[in-house]
Amino acid sequence: MPPLTPPRPTVGAPGLLAAGCGTAIASVCALGLFQIERLLGGLWSAAAILCAGLCCLGLARALGRLAGVVPSGAGLLAYLARGFGRPAGLALTLPYVLLTLFLVGAEATLVGRVLTAVVPVPAAVGSLAFLVGTWALCQAGVRVGYRAQAVATAALIAGLAAVSLASVAAAAGSGALAARLLPPAPSPGAFVAGVGQALFLFMGFELITSQAEVATGTPAVRRALLGSVAVLTGFYVLVSVGFSCLDPDAVGAAGATDEAVPQLALAGHVGRGPAVAAVAVLSLLASFTSYNGALLALSRLTAALASQGVLPRRLGRVQPGTLVPSYALAALLLAAIAATALVSFGGAMQPAILAAAAAAALVYAAVAWVRERPPFAEPGRPVLFRVAAAMLAAALAALGLGVVLAAGPARGGTLALLAAAGSAALVAAYRCRRRVPGPALAEGGSHAR
Amino acid sequence: MTRLAAALDSFTAAYHARPDLIAGQRGWSRTILLQAADTRESIVLRIEDGRIAPARPDSTEAERPELCITADAATLCDILELRLGPNEPYLFGELTVQGSEADLLRLDYITDVLCPR
Repeated sequence: MPPLTPPRPTVGAPGLLAAGCGTAIASVCALGLFQIERLLGGLWSAAAILCAGLCCLGLARALGRLAGVVPSGAGLLAYLARGFGRPAGLALTLPYVLLTLFLVGAEATLVGRVLTAVVPVPAAVGSLAFLVGTWALCQAGVRVGYRAQAVATAALIAGLAAVSLASVAAAAGSGALAARLLPPAPSPGAFVAGVGQALFLFMGFELITSQAEVATGTPAVRRALLGSVAVLTGFYVLVSVGFSCLDPDAVGAAGATDEAVPQLALAGHVGRGPAVAAVAVLSLLASFTSYNGALLALSRLTAALASQGVLPRRLGRVQPGTLVPSYALAALLLAAIAATALVSFGGAMQPAILAAAAAAALVYAAVAWVRERPPFAEPGRPVLFRVAAAMLAAALAALGLGVVLAAGPARGGTLALLAAAGSAALVAAYRCRRRVPGPALAEGGSHAR
Repeated sequence: MTRLAAALDSFTAAYHARPDLIAGQRGWSRTILLQAADTRESIVLRIEDGRIAPARPDSTEAERPELCITADAATLCDILELRLGPNEPYLFGELTVQGSEADLLRLDYITDVLCPR
């Protein structure tokens, strides 16, 4: 047998880092930042983001190990299934996945509001156009390339960083900097809830691991994971400080409700029309790249679950030309439209964000825990590392609980979403118990029946 | 003949019994390496213009497969003998891929057509 060299890898750490940041940063993150600002305020918000970033640095190290042992594009589900078994892996991962779908509804709602700043269409029409347009591109097999995603992400980071710095400069110039950055200290419970909500901002960075198949190697994946957490932490801290420096009168009544589009308020405060238009365009690009990737990944999971009989089998059919599961994509479009309607007209924006944050905390806790189990733990791994992992897992679980406890008026909706996602996950986990493989092929290549 | 090689022969026969499926893969040429992580066996699946080409045991040239699929031997045999599609073990981390996702999706499509479940 002649020697075979492995396939040529194509994506290095910079490309992976851009993909990770691009997946994590979406319009809904600006709203999440704004909610943290309303909960904590000033440098307390920045401190909460730093704490969440530190937790995610620990997670990034764990994920680097997981991706090295199981270099699978299936990411979280693959790791948790290998560590805890298929049913438990699915039960832990599926709520996170399902609530991502609800976040799509939140994102589409915000896209509709952002579009009204650029073109004179009703927000609901803009939301629907975003969902259907992205779905149509996915049906055609179009996937945003690494280079395009890197450009869109870098532009959004640069744009929002610029308006944030301008907001800080404006506050400093008016002598209001200290007052805006140093509000009264929040309660410990509120701070914990703020850290938990800040975890939501990092949701999606772990999808770097899904590129392990085309990465230049495990070290590139590890560097990209750590780098993306560092970039995201710095970016979110800066934008949070920018929000803190906004003149409350300039934000107006809309800023205190879920009708806000915070990044546009920030841009409008410092740069008026051109800045608002620029931030709107960059936000739309970020939303598109984020949703495009999420929809294709979700469709593949849906098709795989359908092939196992967990979902209707028709959803597993793949189109021969584009190799996309078109029925699964259609089902996801309907689910996304329903989620958007619930968020837009049912007041579910904050519950969607909080439930997603809680689910992220739970799955991240599971990641920290599974890193210390076979097949991921190295033989003879020092006890200190195991203790540290257990503490990180416990801290993440506590943060998730803190998010729910501090949800205030949104607690009922948050719990309802978590209960629905959890129930669906348990049913799917029960139905996905390992199947016995069918009969082998008979001689001549025909399948025995 | 190893079990993996026998399973590949079964898969080849089933695939070549479907000229419509072969026609749909026209223009697709790939070298795919199948590696059994537990038994250290490996076998090469060469596809040339949509047809599975015979192995070239006497070749001395180093080849670079476009796709490398790794799983335990039992899983690879289940896939090649059309008892299981590759997407299920892939999703649960029991099968890993190095190379293009599009090629894995095409393989999954082919096995799905050959053995609808």
